[in-house]
Amino acid sequence: MTDSSAAIDVRRLTKRYGAVTAVDAISFSVPRGTIFGLLGRNGAGKTTTLECCIGIGKPTGGEIRVLGLDPTRPRDLARLRSRIGVQLQATSLPEKANVREVLELYAAYYGIVPRPDEMAARVGLDGKLDRQISQMSGGEQQRLALALALQHDPDVLFLDEPTAGMDAFGRRILWAEVERLRDTGKTVVLTTHYIEEAERLSDRVCVVQRGTIVAEASPAELIARYGGAAAVTIVADGFSPDASLERLGTWTKAGAEWKLATRGEPGLALAAVVTQANAAGAKIASLDMHHPTLEDAFIAITGETLTELETA
Amino acid sequence: MTLLRMFLVQTKSHFVWYFRRDGEMMFWTLAMPVFFLVLFSFAFSDGSNTGSSRFLVPGIIGAQVLSSGFWGVGVMLATFREKNLLRRIYITPMPPWVFFASLVVYRMALLGAQAVLLVAVGAFVFHVRIIGNPLEILAILVLGTATFVSLGTIIGALARTTESANNVASILTVPLAFLSDAYVPIDRFPHVVASALRLLPSTQFIDTFRDVAVGGASLGAYGVWIGALVVWTIAGTAISARTFRWV
Repeated sequence: MTDSSAAIDVRRLTKRYGAVTAVDAISFSVPRGTIFGLLGRNGAGKTTTLECCIGIGKPTGGEIRVLGLDPTRPRDLARLRSRIGVQLQATSLPEKANVREVLELYAAYYGIVPRPDEMAARVGLDGKLDRQISQMSGGEQQRLALALALQHDPDVLFLDEPTAGMDAFGRRILWAEVERLRDTGKTVVLTTHYIEEAERLSDRVCVVQRGTIVAEASPAELIARYGGAAAVTIVADGFSPDASLERLGTWTKAGAEWKLATRGEPGLALAAVVTQANAAGAKIASLDMHHPTLEDAFIAITGETLTELETA
Repeated sequence: MTLLRMFLVQTKSHFVWYFRRDGEMMFWTLAMPVFFLVLFSFAFSDGSNTGSSRFLVPGIIGAQVLSSGFWGVGVMLATFREKNLLRRIYITPMPPWVFFASLVVYRMALLGAQAVLLVAVGAFVFHVRIIGNPLEILAILVLGTATFVSLGTIIGALARTTESANNVASILTVPLAFLSDAYVPIDRFPHVVASALRLLPSTQFIDTFRDVAVGGASLGAYGVWIGALVVWTIAGTAISARTFRWV
């Protein structure tokens, strides 16, 4: 059964390429007006999943509904196209076209009045309307691709690795735009292998590994469930935890470094540790506090590290 | 209205992006055919110049129709796919036929410019006169373009990469230009060979076009060949439509 109130509903989606199963019976549902993040390393099946939702990939099995329409049916897909906006991974635009012309052509595709000035301003390309694609950086081209996805004011936005190769400026612009869209009631699905991006934007994160979903929750829930304990570490000559500090959690010692793993609020633990070190007259050489992050949760869930993720 | 604007903006975009801003493309499209006309007119001169030019003006226009279909449409489609442009277009509401119509009209506009240029040079330099019925000339040119665009689209549909599309287009275009009565009269080949070459759609198209344009023949006299070209076009379109991949 599919949930028609959701913007997107995917049930047991499977996609095989010959003997390779890229997506293996994935199910998820995206409520309207939310941002849904598919997080995983390259090759995990995120792009394949997204492509099936927009009608580029033909599923081997399973059911997909986007705005109640089935993208595998030509008639539904024809109706769906004008209601979704897509930023594909590694979008290539005609090299000799300029920004204004591309926006005008895409406006014609959707039968709308072109708004080149407004769209360029929204993605930080103001003043660059006459710039040719071949003279733009990869990040600028990505931002133009975002503008092309937004210009016809779609209800659902699919962004495939939208900030890959973008500089900090581009990333900030894209994030702000995605949040603004969510706040106006649009639904956004994005794939990313940047943990920071998934944590910052997603209302719900789906961790994808080898074609299956291995965890799905809000970033805060994932951290609470899988991120492990918060930690306070201290290196101080003459310090050792007293009975009151022992109660805060589990202490371990490696070399000169004492480490407290705590389920409580690490800021309070830190204050208590510093107070006791001062009272004991211990000289603090280093002091650190670590909140569990989505990265910790990701590593715990997948057994993969961020470095693997970034360079995969 | 929406579809018309879509078609017009797309056609104009093809023209601006792939022709007007591409010097190499302009050179190959406009200067090379004229250069060939002048070169071969003198090389094959029978003393009067007009004789060989009279053969070459329609021959080169015909060869351009062939390469327009194989390169201009076939290889261009493969390039579009390789650069992920086709998949980006596929997810827009533009109906596929609007996209193909814009591509065909764009190529026809370029062919028109090439034809006008070649006819002008032929007339002023080599005194070649176009004496055929303009409507019949136009009709056979449009039919020929349709034939070779539909066959070229098969290349664009089946080629995995731009490179393989390029190779297939070269293998077809270059020999056909010399075996289809375009640059060299096939009458110079042994009779059996010439008869065999007249079974090629390229030969049938170029001979019909030449006889109508500079021979003043009536299109009605070429019913069988025209029928054959129509069949090729239908077959090419059907195969293209079945095999075309957007991604």
